[in-house]
Amino acid sequence: MQSWRRKSLWLALLASWILVLLGLFPLLRLAVPTSPRAGAPRGWPRWLDAELLQSFAKPGELLEDGPRPPQALRGGSCNWGACFDTSKCRGGGLKVFVYPAAGPVSETRRRILASVEGSRYHTLSAAEACLLLLLSPDTSTGECDPVPPQWDGGRNHLVLSLHPAPCPRTFQLGQAMVAEASPTVDTFRPGFDVALPLLPEAHPLRGGAPGQLRQHSPRPGVALLALAEDGGRWHVAGTDFSACPWDGRCEQDRGPKQTHPGATLPNATFCLIPGRSPDVLHFLQALQAGCIPVLLSPRWELPFSEVIDWTKAAIVADERLPLQVLTALQEMPLTRVLALRQQTQFLWDAYFSSVEKVVHTTLEIIQDRIFGPSAHPSLLWNRPPGAILALPTFSPSPSDFPFYHLQQGSRPLGRFSALIWGGAPGQPPLKLIQAVAGSQHCAQILVLWSSEKPPPTRWPKTAVPLTVIDGHRKVSDRFFPYSAISTDAILSLDAHSSLSTSEVDFAFVVWQSFPERMVGFLTWSHFWDEARGGWGYTAKRTNEFSMVLTSAAFYHRYYHTLFTHSLPKALRTLADEAPTCVDVLMNFLVASVTKLPPIKVPYGMWHQEARPPPLEPGGPGLRQEPQPAAQNCINQMAAGFGHMPLVSSRLRLDPVLFKDPVSVLRKKYRSLEKP
Amino acid sequence: MCASVKYNIRGPALIPRMKTKHRIYYITLFSIVLLGLIATGMFQFWPHSIESSSDWSVQKRSIRDVPVVRLPADSPVPERGDLSCRMHTCFDVYRCGFNPKNKIKVYIYSLKKYVDDAGVPVSSTISQEYNELLTAVADSDYYTEDIARACLFIPSIDLLNQNALRVKETAQALAQLSRWDRGTNHLLFNMLPGGPPDYNTALDVPRDRALLAGGGFSTWTYRQGYDVSIPVYSPLSAEVDLPEKGPGPRRYFLLSSQMALHPEYREELAALQARHGEAALVLDKCTNLSEGIPAARKRCHKHQVFDYPQVLQEATFCVVLRGARLGQAVLSDVLRAGCIPVIIADSYILPFSEVLDWKRASVAVPEEKMSDVYSILQSIPQRQIEEMQRQARWFWEAYFQSIKAIALATLQIINDRIYPYAAISYEDWNDPPSVKWGSVSNPLFLPLIPPQSQGFTAIVLTYDRVESLFRVITEVSKVPSLSKLLVVWNNQNKNPPEDSLWPKIRVPLKVVRTAENKLSNRFFPYDEIETEAVLAIDDDIIMLTSDELQFGYEVWREFPDRLVGYPGRLHLWDHEMSKWKYESEWTNEVSMVLTGAAFYHKYFNYLYTYKMPGDIKNWVDAHMNCEDIAMNFLVANVTGKAVIKV
Repeated sequence: MQSWRRKSLWLALLASWILVLLGLFPLLRLAVPTSPRAGAPRGWPRWLDAELLQSFAKPGELLEDGPRPPQALRGGSCNWGACFDTSKCRGGGLKVFVYPAAGPVSETRRRILASVEGSRYHTLSAAEACLLLLLSPDTSTGECDPVPPQWDGGRNHLVLSLHPAPCPRTFQLGQAMVAEASPTVDTFRPGFDVALPLLPEAHPLRGGAPGQLRQHSPRPGVALLALAEDGGRWHVAGTDFSACPWDGRCEQDRGPKQTHPGATLPNATFCLIPGRSPDVLHFLQALQAGCIPVLLSPRWELPFSEVIDWTKAAIVADERLPLQVLTALQEMPLTRVLALRQQTQFLWDAYFSSVEKVVHTTLEIIQDRIFGPSAHPSLLWNRPPGAILALPTFSPSPSDFPFYHLQQGSRPLGRFSALIWGGAPGQPPLKLIQAVAGSQHCAQILVLWSSEKPPPTRWPKTAVPLTVIDGHRKVSDRFFPYSAISTDAILSLDAHSSLSTSEVDFAFVVWQSFPERMVGFLTWSHFWDEARGGWGYTAKRTNEFSMVLTSAAFYHRYYHTLFTHSLPKALRTLADEAPTCVDVLMNFLVASVTKLPPIKVPYGMWHQEARPPPLEPGGPGLRQEPQPAAQNCINQMAAGFGHMPLVSSRLRLDPVLFKDPVSVLRKKYRSLEKP
Repeated sequence: MCASVKYNIRGPALIPRMKTKHRIYYITLFSIVLLGLIATGMFQFWPHSIESSSDWSVQKRSIRDVPVVRLPADSPVPERGDLSCRMHTCFDVYRCGFNPKNKIKVYIYSLKKYVDDAGVPVSSTISQEYNELLTAVADSDYYTEDIARACLFIPSIDLLNQNALRVKETAQALAQLSRWDRGTNHLLFNMLPGGPPDYNTALDVPRDRALLAGGGFSTWTYRQGYDVSIPVYSPLSAEVDLPEKGPGPRRYFLLSSQMALHPEYREELAALQARHGEAALVLDKCTNLSEGIPAARKRCHKHQVFDYPQVLQEATFCVVLRGARLGQAVLSDVLRAGCIPVIIADSYILPFSEVLDWKRASVAVPEEKMSDVYSILQSIPQRQIEEMQRQARWFWEAYFQSIKAIALATLQIINDRIYPYAAISYEDWNDPPSVKWGSVSNPLFLPLIPPQSQGFTAIVLTYDRVESLFRVITEVSKVPSLSKLLVVWNNQNKNPPEDSLWPKIRVPLKVVRTAENKLSNRFFPYDEIETEAVLAIDDDIIMLTSDELQFGYEVWREFPDRLVGYPGRLHLWDHEMSKWKYESEWTNEVSMVLTGAAFYHKYFNYLYTYKMPGDIKNWVDAHMNCEDIAMNFLVANVTGKAVIKV
């Protein structure tokens, strides 16, 4: 009895202990956080009667909100739909007429005029123009223009002023659009006006200085910040920028002070630019230098903000949170810094480096508005090579262009069209046609017949379709975007070219990896001729090359469109007059788009030993050695482009096992190594 | 159970030494102490739990019980909206302070019922949608309960529909909010602005500096970069189940489904239909519906009855015309159906136009050009149409689908303005998930050939093969473009040879001692690397001549975003084993180069060390192998490009 009682007592004690322990622990866990429990509903209450709440709109209210008649134009306010008459632009697209200048013309104005006249949109007749361009008077003339003759309340007019107007306008702007440098945010009408960059007086007409960035990532130890100062100067703050107070000035003079305005560009990772308007000049400087602009509450609209995604190249920060901005810049991940820096360079080069680019970009923006749904997609504006070089008329889909395959996750088509330019009398180039048609990648053969004589009636039987196109007996014809070309890749050939099937196959595989470049067999290189003070080029075998001959080269069919529709007419005429020039011109064009050299692939020695028949003057032939007279064309081209776009390469791409000590039978392109 | 048995045996064995009286005494004492402890514990912690559970009870209350606030007739009214407001003038950014997570904090005022002097309510307390909106905000990361830490304030006064409120009194209610301060940092949501007869395009309630997230802004009322244009939510989004229909050709080319259209517009549309017959369909209200069928869900053409919104899925393009208001709920239905909206509303600021690229999902046609609409649309190629259909549906899914989506997108836009360096990119906003997955954005996208003068840094990873290492150093130092040599000494047990023993070379030679013998030390972005080009070379690669190395560097200059190496390797799919195979035979293809001798950009060192996905880096370090495969994978993954074998 006693032991039973004792036992039960102990049992009870034990049980209470266990109970206490079990009970206490969850309690402890619950009670420790003093802040509201995670997971528990907080903030906005869950109403018991939430189900009974009424909808914000009565049934039917969303469907019938009282019909209203078409709105009359609001006085003084314009937008694209209301104030621009696109019906005038139908058919020929954008046609631009510029009012001729009255009286003496300043240098800047002359440059603008020249670049509009050089553009593909220019027209001489005000009647057929859909956009009338009025250049705002600039400082040097001092005179104010009277109301232009076709003014019509400013309808379809664009008033362009690269510099702030010195005199008040004598007439109302009416329905005219305004393209001015760094307009204030308050007066700017998005989607109607165009914001331009504020250009320095000496901005070049064409070409322009390239971006200063020579390497992708910032050099270690380079200053983090440069502060914009008055008078176009920069103050490099060094890595220890905390010593600088925020008003843009440093009390201790740490970095080297630049005394000549604009003489040197800031050498730093980030460039701080205050939002006051006199500082906008700094913006372009920073862009050119590859120094990421950090704009502190800018009161002005960023240039071409309608189309350029500035978040990819600049940072717009609030000037009232200096410490936060500084910390954010310091902690910015390298990947972002890298992307921003590269984007500054791309934008500078594509849209800002010359007056011509600025003017063309402006016109391109207006054309995009006219095009509506078939305008440049944002990708084309914000990725190299930029919207001026990517024509939206070519295709609505970015994956048809050679430039965007990576972003689109697409690949170029796996076939090519051979385009043979011929016209010499005699037999059709049998051997060549058979070699090309023998390639597994060949989709079709096009013969561009370019001679007074009719083409031969009999062509060899080939596995792929062969079409004869009648050309216009002009050399530039061979780069016309023929609708018969159905593939992305074109193999451009002369009737005298000599190629083997292996060579074609391998070159095409290489091109698929580099669809934006030209892949060729025979090369030329350009050089600066000190003696003559100009450019020259040679077909001699050197360790470098910068051009491939279009008598045997792969390239994307987009370059035909670009060649025909974007090159100035003068340059194409030049090429027609001196046939060897057409190779130079095509190479210039591709290099100015890609900024990269072409690619050279192996070419058998035995081809070159078979000498071609004598050249027919003006006709197609194997253009091996540039004639001395043609040497001049490279200089004319360089002048036309405003700079020398060609880039040299020192390498050739070979098949993986090329000349490796393995059995020939294991090699895929074994005939490339024939002695 | 087992344990208690044990204790049971042990207990009596310990205690028998005591007398029974004492034992009871001890037990009682022990129990009292224990109880005391428990009680202390209870009192220590109980109040908090009581508080939080009382919170619970607060949550579960009815809207009818919310406190009533009486607004005196002469209480202040805020100024009208200031049209010149911008973030840097009217927004008090100091309240957002510094936040390491780059996220603004949003406070929501508690719900009150406002009545005027006569006791007449100012508006219905809260609508279902606004309640949903505030719930979404409160459940998000933006929410804070601490009014002092908040950067943005959202009143609980429901302004979604201007017709459901009294303008002046609502303004008075706003003005008496505890942190109103001229409306600074206050965010108001409104979807149906204006009222008859002239239907303003922005909320008429005077709101001073408050930001307005409004549906139906026009260019004249929208303060760019300050206000946010939001969609008009369509309740059909939740009511009707509409399965997704893929892009492709549809029965009607152009459809108009809006019921309340001005006769002038209707005439134009009728003319369109007359011209194009079957391809265009103009629907109207049904006049002879039987009872019980909601009129909102039916549309008619002559005597034909169509289900709405299902009929939208039958059309390629759907007209979204301006009514009295610019913002139309039909836009949401149209996007959902994957029908491309044709916006005919001059000066309308499309929803979220600050971040969304509407050109990709819609066609805007000026009102004047309405008669040309058909030919404008016909000029769009089929491929682009399909792209736009996909994009339209994606916009609906991401930003229109629910009140929550609308609220969070609005807050994200404001957040990105305040923390621009952490802002979401154009691609993040606009690219549908399928595009995001397929696309590669090369981190070194700028076409650039670095100058030869920069040279390269050679990094030799070594453990203790000093003799071979010295030979490599001597060989590499002959390369003209070498600018620095870095020896990574991976042996912690042995000191590197003395300075005097190292080969004398013309470029600086630095020895880095590592803390641990890890393979990833080879790919660390050392500060000593001053050039962009890095040559990784093993301490036993003595067969490469200086010409070969110099040429390798030249090749790298022309392909700075690729791995440029010497021995190549290939990956193959093994069909028998159903897995990937690593091929080191001489093949006609290469997909990898060995990093025992390879040039690459220094940035990839940074990526390898800090951004290598998953557990790869640790795996490599643990297994002391595969670092070259890891590096090849990494570079190919970020650039989408193949290696170059020299």
